[in-house]
Amino acid sequence: MNWFGDVKTVCLLAAIVTGALGIWLLLPRGNRRGQIAGTLLAAVSLGLLMSLLPMMGAWVSQVLFWILAIATAVAAVATISMRSPVYSAIWFGLTLLTTAGLFLLQGAQFLGVATIVVYAGAILVTFLFVLMLAQPQGHEYYDRISWGTLPTAFAALAGVLIVGGLTYMLTNLDATAVNESIASAAVHQGDGEIFADQHMAKLGGELFSRHLISVEVAGTLLLVALVGAVAIVIQGKEPRASTAALRGGGPSDA
Amino acid sequence: MLNEVAVLQNYLVIGAVLFAVGLIGFIVRRNMIVMFLCAEMMLQGVSVTLVAFGRYHNNWGGQMLVLFIITVAACEAGIALALILMLFKKSGKLDIAFWQDMREAGQPPFVDRAIPEERAEERVWPRLTPAGIEPQVDEVEKEERLHRSRV
Repeated sequence: MNWFGDVKTVCLLAAIVTGALGIWLLLPRGNRRGQIAGTLLAAVSLGLLMSLLPMMGAWVSQVLFWILAIATAVAAVATISMRSPVYSAIWFGLTLLTTAGLFLLQGAQFLGVATIVVYAGAILVTFLFVLMLAQPQGHEYYDRISWGTLPTAFAALAGVLIVGGLTYMLTNLDATAVNESIASAAVHQGDGEIFADQHMAKLGGELFSRHLISVEVAGTLLLVALVGAVAIVIQGKEPRASTAALRGGGPSDA
Repeated sequence: MLNEVAVLQNYLVIGAVLFAVGLIGFIVRRNMIVMFLCAEMMLQGVSVTLVAFGRYHNNWGGQMLVLFIITVAACEAGIALALILMLFKKSGKLDIAFWQDMREAGQPPFVDRAIPEERAEERVWPRLTPAGIEPQVDEVEKEERLHRSRV
């Protein structure tokens, strides 16, 4: 048992080292050397990380999770390592799609669809639009060098250490103790709430009863954001002649 | 029968991966739009975590929070879009390092040590597959098109 724990710790350390090195090699640092090595190292790190995770028990769920998780991780790393921001945005779209798949597997059908519609359909497309407006030729120098070699290395190490620490903590949990404390909670909540029939009806019922005030606040927030965005964009624009005339013809301070 | 604790652990780790990769990208990248995409990726990681917890506890709390996260992300996208457009109008580029004049007094400025030249083979664009054959247009039709009403 102790020997097994040692193997897991070594695996985790190897995953951290290879992951940090691989991501550092993949990120834009000015030259393109070592990208294939970086891809290989990051793939090894992902494989080690996946091997550390416990089995779910049902092979269909396990295989689906592996496919979606690996696609999510690959697309996420590709998003931050692409030199052209257009490619970054497209890879981020793939990340959103696989995340929606993870939501569907977890019994959150509405959120999966909402992620695709709101994120991939609206936000991402709007940002691609701005990208094409601002930087139509792509390939700017600041996409090729970022902040230099050393800050990139430290950022990669810090990010990988977060994942490594969390994995260490999670895989060493005493699962039985957690299970017992949660079993009572599940009984209290009513069994099969999330996976029961009439998903939308139950979700809407919960949203508009228990979280009604939050819905109101969210609506207000959307309105405020709309007004704020318009206010930011019209800052610094010359007032039109008709507006100036209405104000008495004087120079405006806008 | 699924082992619910194992399911939770798997999904928490993939959520952490998304968050950490977004964090790395936010720190490392200098393009403002890519930085924004990385911030959204961090939100996605948190969403995966919340949905996993909601499934584990078998209640709607996690999904409700994610619903509101999506709302706030939409607001954030609108504001960020306006800000990025304003900054781009003032500086002419999407580089966040252009705005380092706003740093604390007494801090040394960040200077790029060497800007690498772009090589010709890096100018790669996605190639669209041709959709169908270009129709043949004879001279008479060309003439007719020239005088056709544009409404």
